[in-house]
Amino acid sequence: MPRLRKPFVILFLGLLLPLIAGAHANTAADNASRTRYLRFGVLPLQSPTRLAEMFMPLVAGIGRALGRPVEFVTAPSFSAFMTRVKQREYDIIYLNPLLFTEAKPAGYRAIVQVAQEPFVGILVVRKDSPLKTLSPATLPRRLRVGFPDPNAYAATIMTRQYLRKLGIPLGRDCKVQYFGSQNSVLMAVHSGLVDIAGTWPPALRSMPRAIRGDLRIIAKTPPQPQMPIAVRDDLPTAMVERLRRYLISLSHRRAGRHILQQLGFVHGFAATSNQAYDKVAR
Amino acid sequence: MNAITGHARKDAGAASGRPMLSRFATLRFRLILSVALVHAVLMGAFVWQAVQDQSAAIRAQLLNRGHELVGLMTVASTNALLEEDLGSLAEVTARVKHQPGVVYGEIVDVRGDVLASTDPARVGRRDRRSLNANDSFPLRHGDHILDLSRRIVVAGRRVGTVLLGLSTRGMDTALAGTRDKGLLFILAALVAGSIAAWALAMIVTRRLHGLIAATRKIAAGNLEVRVNSGSRDEVGILADAFNHMVASLQRSAHAVQHEHDKRTEAERLACVGELAASIAHEIRNPLAAVINAVRLLDDNKLGLEDHAEVVTILNTESQRLQRILDDFLRFSRMREPRPVKGNVTALVQEVSQLLARDSALLERVQIENHVPEGPCHAVFDPDQLRQVLWNLMLNAVQAMPDGGRLDVSAECIGDQVLVTVADSGDGIPAAIVDHITRPFFTRRKGGSGLGLAIVQRILMQHGSKLWIDSQPGRGTRMRFHLAAA
Repeated sequence: MPRLRKPFVILFLGLLLPLIAGAHANTAADNASRTRYLRFGVLPLQSPTRLAEMFMPLVAGIGRALGRPVEFVTAPSFSAFMTRVKQREYDIIYLNPLLFTEAKPAGYRAIVQVAQEPFVGILVVRKDSPLKTLSPATLPRRLRVGFPDPNAYAATIMTRQYLRKLGIPLGRDCKVQYFGSQNSVLMAVHSGLVDIAGTWPPALRSMPRAIRGDLRIIAKTPPQPQMPIAVRDDLPTAMVERLRRYLISLSHRRAGRHILQQLGFVHGFAATSNQAYDKVAR
Repeated sequence: MNAITGHARKDAGAASGRPMLSRFATLRFRLILSVALVHAVLMGAFVWQAVQDQSAAIRAQLLNRGHELVGLMTVASTNALLEEDLGSLAEVTARVKHQPGVVYGEIVDVRGDVLASTDPARVGRRDRRSLNANDSFPLRHGDHILDLSRRIVVAGRRVGTVLLGLSTRGMDTALAGTRDKGLLFILAALVAGSIAAWALAMIVTRRLHGLIAATRKIAAGNLEVRVNSGSRDEVGILADAFNHMVASLQRSAHAVQHEHDKRTEAERLACVGELAASIAHEIRNPLAAVINAVRLLDDNKLGLEDHAEVVTILNTESQRLQRILDDFLRFSRMREPRPVKGNVTALVQEVSQLLARDSALLERVQIENHVPEGPCHAVFDPDQLRQVLWNLMLNAVQAMPDGGRLDVSAECIGDQVLVTVADSGDGIPAAIVDHITRPFFTRRKGGSGLGLAIVQRILMQHGSKLWIDSQPGRGTRMRFHLAAA
């Protein structure tokens, strides 16, 4: 019997080892598939679906350029987004300049910014609104002002700073409401829920023509450094450089212009660095 | 015994002259079987189709419900998936979990990581989809989960997947119930069809059975029987035709009987005439001798010697006349046999020994008795059978005037007793073999011609017959048989 057992043991091991090796290979493949995705976090400036529609072509293009799949993600709120940024959950981020100053300590580095178009906040009213100019004397009492999020840099912080400089403090005589996203606050002013909405130009351009046609820009803030795209500092340098070149080259190619059109960034991206945002403050 | 096997029924039928049918060969059984089978097959096909349709509807209902639920999950989880809002996603899966029949529900991101699941332990793990997932019917054997999935697509690109497992056990139970109902319907149809077929067969075959019974009565000779034609269908028409046929047969039978009676009467008269002629022929010669003798005696011219010779002739012819008349009377007044059970071999031995007492006979004829030691019993009239044996042996001895050999035997063969009397005489010409048993037919001078006629008549009364085998120059063998008892 021992003579008979030996071939069976060999046969058993012969069958078992490939299974073990296969299982190990599968686990390795799983791990590889889990790590090969790059996570592109986008500040929830608009509704998730709208943001996805805007950024999906860019995300796909980045994936092709880097040879790795890229996952588009956003967050329920600015604060949740920043929490994740600080936990370094994203490989690549797109956010406003003010929040970028908070992301820098977490190890993020700005590589490009939205090109040419000045980064400004705008105040929007309905086209048929009696408000023509912003003056403390002409503004009605109990003014209703809407913003997307308290941390929205251009739409909220810059516009509120601008109003404060005009002598229009949003104190007791004003009713301030936050609607969570840029298009929500634009819809709010369009429907008459608020008299004035703080937002920024790309958000207005992304609105449907019918809605956009009913709105009017009543004021524009002084420009600030544009919205950056930053990368986490542990990404390989070559990959970061490939990403930077790809983003800057978008405006030079037809496919890239299509991507920029989806984003609403008609002038594409320009190179930048962390130093460009040193002066940005609340 | 009420239960009779098929063979027994056949044997009984054959014995009574009535062919008995196997129960499964009857028209009634075949009619019931045909109607019941057709009914069952048609109802089975109909019910099977209905069950199939209902099963397909139940499956489609479950599938549609699953797709609707997956669609709702997709819509409800798209934004939360993009935001990685695990709380909202968990709320979606928690609501899905409470839907009836849901085994699992999961929301998976584009990387394949489970972001929310009805099983909280699976959050953060890999997608559970495998090659065994079944998203359409029929499912594999032993699989009771319908696995549905839908890609969450935004801007033409997949951002995640919704997975949903629905238990099919409720559906399987419903399908089993539908199948059981179908089987019950088929069974009910079979029973109803059988009852209907039985009733139909009874209606159709009852009158056929009446026809069969009437036919048997006719076969037994009763031509008065008629059948009830009943309704005006094929069987009724057949019954009418049957009655007409029987009436016609009855008329023909009456005509045949009438004709037969006429012929019998004619034959009887002819027989009487023939018998009278035979008697007249037989007694004419001795009577003429007697008349001449009386006339001579009336003549005084006769001498003493001639007178004595005439008296002798007168006596001889008178005795001959008397013997002829005695034989005739014995033949014509033959009584009915009184059969009793007896030993044939003993009777044969008795008669042959009686014959052997004639010492003159023994000088020229050798009698060989081939009777077995044991008895051969039969039912017969001893006196009449003794007459038969005596006549046959005497006839054989008379057929050997110059001597010869007489062989007598009796043997039990099966259920019969065969008796043979054979002589080594001149034999009988083939042309007259068939006539020698007729009354008054004789080739021997002085014979009455009634011996073998009496034998044949007695044997006929015993249900037997005399068989004669004769070879001219070599002898004659006469045989008859009796039923063994």
